[in-house]
Amino acid sequence: MAQTEQDGYEKRLGEFAGREAAPPRPGPDPVNVPMIRHWVEAMGDRNPVYLDEEAARRTGRAGIVAPASMMQAWTMRGYAAATAGQDDGSGLGELIALLAEGGYTSVVATDSEFAFHRELTVGDHVGVREIIESISPEKKTALGAGRFVTTERTYLDQHGETVAVQRWRMLWFRPARTPPGGREPAALRPRPAVNRDNAFWFEAAREHRLVIQRCDACGALRHPPGPCCPRCGSYGWDTAEASGRGRVYSYVVSHHPRHPAFEPPYVVALVELEEGTRLVTNLVGVAPEEVEIDMPVALEWLDPDPELSLPVFRPVTA
Amino acid sequence: MRSRAYDEVTVGETLPELPVPLTRTLIVATAIASRDYQDVHHDPGLAAERGSPDVFMNILTTNGLIDRYVTEWAGPAAEVKAIKIRLGAPNYPGDTMVLTGTVTAKHDEDRRVEIAVRGANRLGAHVTGTVAVRLPGGAES
Amino acid sequence: MSGLSGRAAIAGIGATEFSKDSGRSELRLACEAVLAAVADAGLRPSDVDGMVTFTADSSSEIHIARSTGMGELRFFSRVPHGGGAACGTVQQAAMAVATGVAEVVVCYRAFNERSGQRFGLGRADAPSGAGADDAAFAWVSPFGLFTPAQWVAMFARRYMHEYKATGEDFGRVAVVDRKHAATNPAAWFYGRPITLADHQASRWIAEPLRLLDCCQESDGGQALVVVSAERARDLPHPPALILAAGQGSGDDQHMMTSYYRPEITGIPEMGLVGRQLYGQSGLGPADVDAAVLYDHFTPLVLPQLEELGFCGRGEARDFIADGHLEVGGRLPVNTHGGQLGEAYIHGMNGIAEGVRLVRGTSVNQPPSVRHVLVTAGTGVPTSGLMLGTDR
Ligand SMILES: [Zn+2]
Repeated sequence: MAQTEQDGYEKRLGEFAGREAAPPRPGPDPVNVPMIRHWVEAMGDRNPVYLDEEAARRTGRAGIVAPASMMQAWTMRGYAAATAGQDDGSGLGELIALLAEGGYTSVVATDSEFAFHRELTVGDHVGVREIIESISPEKKTALGAGRFVTTERTYLDQHGETVAVQRWRMLWFRPARTPPGGREPAALRPRPAVNRDNAFWFEAAREHRLVIQRCDACGALRHPPGPCCPRCGSYGWDTAEASGRGRVYSYVVSHHPRHPAFEPPYVVALVELEEGTRLVTNLVGVAPEEVEIDMPVALEWLDPDPELSLPVFRPVTA
Repeated sequence: MRSRAYDEVTVGETLPELPVPLTRTLIVATAIASRDYQDVHHDPGLAAERGSPDVFMNILTTNGLIDRYVTEWAGPAAEVKAIKIRLGAPNYPGDTMVLTGTVTAKHDEDRRVEIAVRGANRLGAHVTGTVAVRLPGGAES
Repeated sequence: MSGLSGRAAIAGIGATEFSKDSGRSELRLACEAVLAAVADAGLRPSDVDGMVTFTADSSSEIHIARSTGMGELRFFSRVPHGGGAACGTVQQAAMAVATGVAEVVVCYRAFNERSGQRFGLGRADAPSGAGADDAAFAWVSPFGLFTPAQWVAMFARRYMHEYKATGEDFGRVAVVDRKHAATNPAAWFYGRPITLADHQASRWIAEPLRLLDCCQESDGGQALVVVSAERARDLPHPPALILAAGQGSGDDQHMMTSYYRPEITGIPEMGLVGRQLYGQSGLGPADVDAAVLYDHFTPLVLPQLEELGFCGRGEARDFIADGHLEVGGRLPVNTHGGQLGEAYIHGMNGIAEGVRLVRGTSVNQPPSVRHVLVTAGTGVPTSGLMLGTDR
């Protein structure tokens, strides 16, 4: 696409944020024992509170409840709708058509975040209302280039009360060409364990800023960060923004074990920033056999998935 | 099945591993039980046309298996308050997914326990996520 | 010499077979190793009143005590940081015995590390909490650096750069380990020595580490019985006196990823352990007749030789190439075959070899061994022992 055309496409996609994906629609059937039985048999779930009134009452419940994870199943439209095609005139139907225009014709679900307000009992009749939250810029994924579409689904009972809320994310992608013998599936990089002491660094990375923790008493820079200055003992700190220039201090070319998010051989480097701190990172734009210690490198950003942005480095001439 | 009481759970404790053999029948049966008739979950030919080496498990089933895994450990009195998952490597027929879990937090105000859960197959992590359950206070019979 | 030196001794050692698939539970392996060690010491389970293991072990002492009929225990302790714990367990036991807190303390480690949870596959997608230990991996795992071999490779590459060491210099450690294992019937690689060419032909794991730079993954258990020196003299085997026992965590210590120190070619925590071993025992590097050096990965054997004073900085490659690690060399090392050749039992099998060297019963026994230095895991907070003959 030409740039203006591209901008126009982005704008049209952006207009879907905040729109209703589909009008509220009740599930085909109220909560009922036969569908629960079908579910728990298939899942191998032997929890008695789903089928045995007496067992359910022994746990303090009024009677049988449905498995929490079944919430979405009560609103699935089933065989006839699945085979009849997607464009039903809803906001989501329009969005799917626009995504197809961009070549994003395949879809996989990637995330589901459920918060349950109450358990469902036999006779409850659940419907769902879905709002489109965001459409990501194009991301490179192992499945192909694609866009993550995030929606919020609110599940309502027969009285209009909310029984659960679900954040739901799907990846719409252009299928990459399949090499003979199949291809590696999409996989995410290992998640960093983010906590109160390191969250600022990963949040800055999401904004594509490489920061270094700085003691507000003595000015010492430190990475990896911590709650307290080892030099002067101060708990106060702010951050300095790194220039993004540094040198390779050491590196590893990893071959084994295979992790689906990494294509071996790949380079993990220890880069010493010109500010003096070091960090573990990846090198891009260089073959493993060309990497050298002391090689000058400059910062770039990698967004392997919507939740994660990581600083990586590319060799530059000194 | 015994119900676990809030007070007997400690942060850091691990749940027993649960291996789930991923038969073709399981993948199809669970897709249909969740009323998900997308072809990639039951038709190998159409799955291949869409660039997948075989049919694969649907996300509703991943939710269902994680729900089962945690409530088997927590017992029938537990009430599931949240299930948050992210999918990675697909679950294909012939593989085994091994579910593991660790208690990561306890919230006394509503006796809520958070469990970090992971399901790994031979390709890597199929799912990582957290489940929150509310547990009964005292020890139950 | 310190108050600990010579007060306690290792009087019994016991192990299971070393395999790739034990077919038994980790608790069963622990019981077998513990009972074998107690029998080797000429004691009964009911004599045991203390137990020490790794925080990483899956079988608490209560399960072993209950299963083996030990009855009451009055001392139990655990040491953290993976393989760095090994000699630390003996230090705990020696302190308990020397102070009279306990009389017979068993140190143990048992696992199905090959057929069960394999450390070598890394912790890429381990469930992680908000604690500092899990969060520490946030700085490496998202970049694809999540296995022990990868973590060590980062140190190895810098060491090669600063000291002009090569992959062959690392390979010579593997060759000598496998040479010793080849004559040890208990070793997994019994009868299977390798050449430097075999090492150079083995596939890359994490450059600069090749497959033959990496220790095995093993199923098995090892236990040790610690008693006072006086009591040891009345038991069947010659005592292996604990002349020194030390732990060490260096400045700016991380778990396997201490990449942020001014230099990363040394192992300062091992230097700290070495200074304690020499200080407590009143001995020096020249007094050490043999050593068991932790060898999960060959590159970190080199800086251990330097930190412990057997050669100068950057000189380990020449020290090794000159044959000093062989039986008959200046410092015979890993006469059982090490963790590359015998088995990976988290360093505990190396302590048992230290005891055999003092007893004079190693399958590759050098002549006239009086003092043996044993180290625990490298890259982590670690520990060490100086074992010696009686009088
Ligand atoms: Zn300061």
